[in-house]
Amino acid sequence: MTEYSRCAKGSFTVAASPVVQVINLPFQPTLVHLRNQTAFSTPAQYALVEAWWDSSMSQGTADIEYIEAASAPWIPAVDYVSTGGISTFSCGQALQFGPQMQVASTTKATSTITTASAHGLSTGDVVILEGMYQTSTTGIPQLSNIPWKVTVTGSTTFTINFNFNQSNYSNLSASPTGAYVRKVLCPYLYLPGVDYISAISISGTSIAVTTSTNHNYVVGQEVAFRIPAAFGSVELNSLPNSSIPGSPIYYYVSAVNSNTQFTITGPSTGVSAFTSNIAVSSVPGLTWAQVVAVGDVNTGGTPYSGGNLYPSPSFPTSSGGAATINGPAISGAFVNNTSQGFTIGLGIGTVQTSALLLTASSTYTWEAFYYDIN
Amino acid sequence: MASSEDIILRDYVLSAASVINAAGGNNGDNPTNLGVSDFSLVAATLDTNNAYKFMSGIEGMDRFGTGPVRSAYFMLSSTELQPDFDGLTGSGFLSQWNYPTNASALPSEYGSVFNIRILVSSEAPVARAASANDRDVYYNFVFGKQALTHINQDGYSMNLIYRDPYYSGMLAQNATLAVKFAQAQALTQDTAVRNLAATRSGN
Repeated sequence: MTEYSRCAKGSFTVAASPVVQVINLPFQPTLVHLRNQTAFSTPAQYALVEAWWDSSMSQGTADIEYIEAASAPWIPAVDYVSTGGISTFSCGQALQFGPQMQVASTTKATSTITTASAHGLSTGDVVILEGMYQTSTTGIPQLSNIPWKVTVTGSTTFTINFNFNQSNYSNLSASPTGAYVRKVLCPYLYLPGVDYISAISISGTSIAVTTSTNHNYVVGQEVAFRIPAAFGSVELNSLPNSSIPGSPIYYYVSAVNSNTQFTITGPSTGVSAFTSNIAVSSVPGLTWAQVVAVGDVNTGGTPYSGGNLYPSPSFPTSSGGAATINGPAISGAFVNNTSQGFTIGLGIGTVQTSALLLTASSTYTWEAFYYDIN
Repeated sequence: MASSEDIILRDYVLSAASVINAAGGNNGDNPTNLGVSDFSLVAATLDTNNAYKFMSGIEGMDRFGTGPVRSAYFMLSSTELQPDFDGLTGSGFLSQWNYPTNASALPSEYGSVFNIRILVSSEAPVARAASANDRDVYYNFVFGKQALTHINQDGYSMNLIYRDPYYSGMLAQNATLAVKFAQAQALTQDTAVRNLAATRSGN
């Protein structure tokens, strides 16, 4: 180990339904080694044993060793993950986008967007849409320039976290000119950030807010709304405050329902319904409804309850969170996530397709290295 | 050294502050290019929200080609928007050159529109080809004084670390030059900051 080398280790447990693992590090590794501890203590056929990735290999690949035998002795075999393997990332600058991908069509009944060629996205990625006009008065241009979290449904299809099965939205077809989707490479630089609102459901004082991407809020923190009149629910806006002029109205997050939905306790009466059925004609200069974190306890920091004394805040906050590289964060401050590190995808063996890089419900240890001499 | 700090703060504000898309321009995009009505709207909103201004006004003087400058908030903009600001001359934009006196003008100040004085930088955030019609989107932060807090942790703000090659290895090949600072940011009052997103009138 010499002057500029870096190394780190850690562990994680894969969910019963595996999701991409994000490991934030203070460096971009050139070598990653994974080891499935569960495969040693509770061996099973096709369980992954170890995996390696080196910078001389392509991004998103991995060499793997898995258990081929169906019973003892648990003889391993080797294979190769060609996509959905291990990738490194570095989020140095805000608002970097992937290449433009032509949108072929949309299906508003299911909020599905179909690309003209394979999009290469993964569920949980964030994209922006561009153009999205079918004609000058039809299409879904209202949704342009807003980050949307996607759920991949096929190699050329995905859904966004928004219901555009509404009267002012109409389908695109035949790859209209200027209709593109682009991946947002580092959507969460500071946490929590500004969020765009997909929907608001009002039930008495319980107001459930659905956001276009992960909101990254924690219970107990304050939020402020910025909702233009066309969307309704303007009574939630932080100003004007009719009782105390100039004093902003903030609400506390009372529940985190999912990574893209949270609940606040709002006023008991007088909040008008929220609508996202926005006319195409209003698109030039349209500002979408937003919610931002303000004031105290934005960090995701939690009270000490045993274990690590000062755990790093993890995001997203509801499920599948990844620890940031930050130590204990200051209450009221935002967490810097301009991080580097690596991700472990949901790839499978090229020959043995039953061998998964992330074996469900298994505990993995990982080691990451950055070498002086490659 | 401070440039790194500035860039971090820039990215933080970009991530945390709510966005207003410019609507006063005429390029038909979303957001549009900047129109004087956007400046007016943002200043009026900040005034309504009781935000504190940064600068007091400059009284008019008997000098050719000059005009008084209102008390103002600061807007941080990209140098690439300068032609668009020049395009607003006569309809609200007052170049810094046309201030009654340049005594209070900052080196990076380009001019003012109504209650907003514009500071330009090549480091201002730009999202390339991200508008509805594929134009570059420029993010212009307009601040009241009480919008943000910047916290230096551990009682120090910034260290410049330099170790010359002699100490870095037997062969003296590698030196270390780094900046270390522990800081945190907080949005103390969201109503006193606006992220005015705009495109250019051309492309």
